[in-house]
Parts: sequence; structure tokens; C-alpha cells
Amino acid sequence: MTTTGLRPRPVLALVAANLRRHTRDRVGLFFMVVMPFVSIVFVGMALGGGTTGSSRLPVGVVAEGSGPVTTALLAELRRHPDLEVTTMTSAAELRSGVREGSLAAGLVIPSGSTRLDLVVTETNGSGMAARSAIDVAVSKVAAVEEATRAARTAGVTPEQAALYVRQAQAESGRVAVKDTSTSAGDPRGFAYTAPANLLLFTFINSMAVAAALVESRRLGMLQRALTAPVRHRSVLLGEALSRLLVALAQAALIMAVSALAFGVHWGDPLGVAAVVGTFALVSTGAAILVGTLLRTPDQAPAIGPPLGVVLGMLGGCLWPRESSGDVLNAVGHLFPHAWGMDALLKLAVPGTGIGAVLPQLGVLAAMAALLLGASLVLFGRRTRALG
Amino acid sequence: MTALETASAPATTATPALACRGLSKRYGDVVAVEDVGFAIAPGQAYGLLGPNGAGKTTTISMLVGLLRPDSGTVLVGGTDLAADPTRAKAKIGYVPQEIALYPELTGRENLRFFGRLFGLPRRRLAARIDEVLDLIGLTDRADTKLGTYSGGMKRRINIGAALLHRPEVLILDEPTVGVDPQSRKAILDGVERLVEEGMALLYTSHYMEEIERVCERAAIIDHGRIIADGTRRELVSLVGTADKVELVLDGDVETAFAKLRAVEGVVEAARTGASSVRLIAEGGRYLLPALITAVDGSATVTATQVIEPDLEATFLHLTGSTLRD
Repeated sequence: MTTTGLRPRPVLALVAANLRRHTRDRVGLFFMVVMPFVSIVFVGMALGGGTTGSSRLPVGVVAEGSGPVTTALLAELRRHPDLEVTTMTSAAELRSGVREGSLAAGLVIPSGSTRLDLVVTETNGSGMAARSAIDVAVSKVAAVEEATRAARTAGVTPEQAALYVRQAQAESGRVAVKDTSTSAGDPRGFAYTAPANLLLFTFINSMAVAAALVESRRLGMLQRALTAPVRHRSVLLGEALSRLLVALAQAALIMAVSALAFGVHWGDPLGVAAVVGTFALVSTGAAILVGTLLRTPDQAPAIGPPLGVVLGMLGGCLWPRESSGDVLNAVGHLFPHAWGMDALLKLAVPGTGIGAVLPQLGVLAAMAALLLGASLVLFGRRTRALG
Repeated sequence: MTALETASAPATTATPALACRGLSKRYGDVVAVEDVGFAIAPGQAYGLLGPNGAGKTTTISMLVGLLRPDSGTVLVGGTDLAADPTRAKAKIGYVPQEIALYPELTGRENLRFFGRLFGLPRRRLAARIDEVLDLIGLTDRADTKLGTYSGGMKRRINIGAALLHRPEVLILDEPTVGVDPQSRKAILDGVERLVEEGMALLYTSHYMEEIERVCERAAIIDHGRIIADGTRRELVSLVGTADKVELVLDGDVETAFAKLRAVEGVVEAARTGASSVRLIAEGGRYLLPALITAVDGSATVTATQVIEPDLEATFLHLTGSTLRD
């Protein structure tokens, strides 16, 4: 009988065992396979149900009078391709709509006055985009008014003045600059909720599977594995790889289903793969850290998912970031979700490649290195100190 | 006749399957294990007895490579564990005290996991799993989830997982804790068969009778040191010819206990319950009439039991405590 010459494959053995354990966890599977899509569908419908970033910005208008300027301005706003204008009855209702986020911006046109009242949340991306579009419409009407007045002053008949103005408007249309650098704000509908839920559930489910790591420690499986003829780092790698594969599987599932079922356009495959892969590494690092620090398996689902939800909130995964203020968005960028959202939303814009998200990738990679490094060192120390 | 009684020679004649020398481990100022050493020959079963906290688990952790000793060496089949841990560990089958198995997996899947961990090739592993399942008597339950097993069945899989790679030495840490008598018998029968087939065995247990049945030699460890080592006969001789006498009393037990301690020939006395006492007495079986007479007037002896010197008495004598303390 000889036991020498064995070629242990502990990494694959650990990965196979851990993945099989996860497939037997029905509650875990429900949260991995069903919940993300429930969230994508319901939140996506609440946000407008669109699948691209081109949906129009809702703008409320209160017209207190009915003069020619008011009429011209309303017509110009309605003609604007990026705006969806809703006429409202009171300024209070309009302000409330902007505050709650159902309106990107609001415009009050007072009776008999040229002073317009723009209602907008300054830090809100959609609000800024709507303001820009309103500015364009107002400038256009103002220009027409000025041109008409100038023509009359020059002694031109009203008919001729009108003709010159129409020509001027046509010229203005021909030279109009399409400013593609001005963001129309974050996309709405599924185009927003799919990446948001990818990040949210990849992280949350990684946190949840941390329970399996705590359970392995509690059962003495890791100790026992270390009595086999395997290297310590093989056990670490096996455990880490198991968690990474779960995170990647979660992300891949959401991407595939959202693309096929909801028509979500994810953008440059290389860029998306890089962002999602790096975010999965961040989630893996966090999962191992939690799985190493906690003492009982019950603590993991009690602490991990709520932590994932809070980070998701800060990162804009639960509601549009533009609904949050400057401070909240700045705090969100201390954590990985916000950077992941930045990158994935940017990649969803047609023509955007991996080069456009290198800063976000860099931050995510640094976070992944920090978390994985810290968690593996700690996990290594804990398992070395066993017994 | 027990395995301990039939043993005749220390395990030093051939290359030991497992040998350790001068093993020590400290945690700050606390000495967990100090200068522990023994050797186990192939086909020999060796018991390690000690109360909780005596240093058994720390010793075993050092033997299986989970803990690095502060000093000392461990040789597994002649291979230095510190110098070549992979080769040395491949010769060890370790059965921890806890059920270290995945409850979500079936018995067969758990065995497959450990077989792969030990690097067994796929085809050989499948055949070996069937052999081990047969050995531990769980072939018919192999494909059901471990979570549905009884405690005894889990214990058997726990042992089976350590046998897949045919280790040269099997280390069992309290393998029968919490199992039903039927499973306990199956485990002990299986372990005895493995030893007969030539496997070396290191066995720790709270159950003295298991050590007496399975092991040829045993060491008693207390406060991190081996305080006695030998065959059953050698160990028992350490307490002389004293018998253990257990009495159940009715009446003024306190006064009766004091009188019993004073009887000539009583070496030790201990209260074991509200109305029971245990005495260690030279020729205790002949001393019974004197003991009954001694308590007359204070209490009545309602039950007696005389136990000849055994490992438990030795243990009590050497450590001052019972093994289950």
C-alpha cells in the first residue's frame, strides 16, 4: 500500500463541493434566480419601463396666462425631442412633482411677465438636462420675439417681419448644434434597473453565500481539509474561487435574461465583462471577509444582505441616483456600487468602449485588491490558527 | 481479554507508522503540551487518555499538521511532517471529534470530496468509495443527504472519509461521542478490523472501555504531559492491587463517609452522589464486611459494587479526577 505520488486537486474539489452545496440551497436559489428579475421588472416599470437611455424627460409647465409668448413657448417646449411636457394647474403641484422626482424640471410662465420661474433640483442629472433643453426652447422663442421687434423697428411690415423670422428660424434650425456631450441624465426603466440589480444582487448574494463559509469553519471542514496533503493556499484559492463563480453566475444570469427578455442593451462586451468581473471580485472579497469575521452562519444572512442593500442604496441601485442629493451621491462613491453604476450606465451609451470607463475600472480594481487582499490574509491567519 | 492486556512489547521494533518526540506547544504563559512523545508501530493501536483540557486535541492537531509545534518532531512512516508535510499528511487519516462533513451533500458526495482532496484518480475513487461504504455499512444510504442521517451514521461517514486513501495511520479523536450503541459497536468492530489489517491507530476517547478494548498500549496525558505510558497491565499496576468499591448508603451519609475513610486499607475515598461513595481500597473485595460494619450506627449500606483495578482507577489515581471531568 502506498500513498506517495498522489496528485491532489484540492481547488477543484472545494469548488465542486461548494457549488453543489449552493445548488441545494433552495432559498439561496430563489434569491439568485427569481428575486433579481422581480426587482428589475417592478422597479423598471415604476421608472418608466424603457429599455434604452433615450426616453424623454418629464417637464411640468404652469401657464398662468395665454398670451402669444406663452403660447409660443409652450409650442416650442412640446416640439423639443427630449422633453415630455405636462401642463399643470398650480406651482405648488409642480414643485411637489419635481421634489418627488416624477418631474425632471418644472417651468412657471407668469401672466404678463417675461420673468420665467424654473423649478429644478440642481444636483439632479435629469433636472440639469431638462434645464438645458428648456433654456434652448426659451432662447429660441426669445430670439424670435427679438427678431420680430427689430424688423418692426426697421419699418418692415408685420407680414415681412414674419417672413424674415421664419427664415431666421429655418437658418437657426440648420445651424443647430447637437450637443452630444450634454447628458440627457441616467436612462430610465429596465435600462437602469438591470445594471442596478446586477450590482445589487451580485453583491447581496455573495454576502449570503458567506454563510456557507462560516458553516464550513463551524463544521470543521476547513480544518479537516487542511489535514489533507494540500497546500494552505490551495484551500484559500478553492474557497475564494467558489464565491467568485457564484458572483459571476449571478451577474451572467441577470445580463442574459435582461437582454433577452427586456431588450436591455449592455454595451461593449469587453467593457461590460471587465466591469462585471471586477465587481464580482469586489463581492468575493467582501464575502470572504464577512465569512471570516462572523462566528455563526446565522449572522451572515442577518448582516451581509442588509449591508448590500445599504451600499446599493448609496450607489443608486435601488432608485435613480438623480433622486439623491449631492452628499448622498458623494458618499456612495466611497463604495463599489456607485462606481459600478457609473461604468455600466456609461457603457450602455452606444459607441462607448472600455476606454471610457477606465477610471471606474481602476477604482473597482483597487477596491477588489484591497478587499481580497485583506480577506485572504485574515482568512489565512484564522485557518492557520485552527486547532 | 482486552487488546491492552494482550500487548507485550512497546512499538519500537519497526519503523513506526507514527512517532513524535519532544512535542511542546505554549499559548503565552499557558503550557498546552510539553515534551510529549510516543511511537506507534504498523498494526498497533495506541490510546490517548486525558480529561478535557489535558492537551489531547492540541497534541493531535500537531500530529496532523494543523498546529505548528514550538518544539519537537513528528514522523509519519518515517517522513518528517515539518520537512515534507504533503507526503507525511498523505499517510494520515484523521477523524476529528466533530462531524466535519457537508450536510447538504450525500454520503457518497462527501466521500468523493475527501477522496479528491487526497488526489485519488476519478475511477479509482469511485471504486474505493463503494468499498468504504461497504466497510462502514452505509451502502444503502449512500445517495441520501447527510442531513437526514442519524448521529451514528454521520460518525461512520466521518470515519469513512479518513479511510479512502488507505492511510498508514488512522487518528481518531473521540469517534463515538453521541452515538447509539449499535453504531458504536459497528465503529469499534470496524476499527479493530483495520488494526488487524495492519493499520496503525491513535485513539482518544472518554470511554475507558473503548480504549481497553481497542488499544494495545495507552498513554495518560494530564496538564499537557504524558504521566504514564504502557500496556493495560503496566498502567494498572501503577495503582497496585487496590479495588474500587462503590457503596450506596442510607442514613447519615456524611458521618458514614468519614468513618469509611478511616477504615484500614482504604487508600482513597470520594463522594459520587448524595448517597453514594467510591473507595479505592487494597483488597477491597475482602474489605466489604469491615466497611459495612464501619458505618453501622450512622447509615445502612443498601448496595455495593466491587470493581477490580482498571484503567479508570489508574486514571483517577494518577490525575486525581475521573476521565469524564
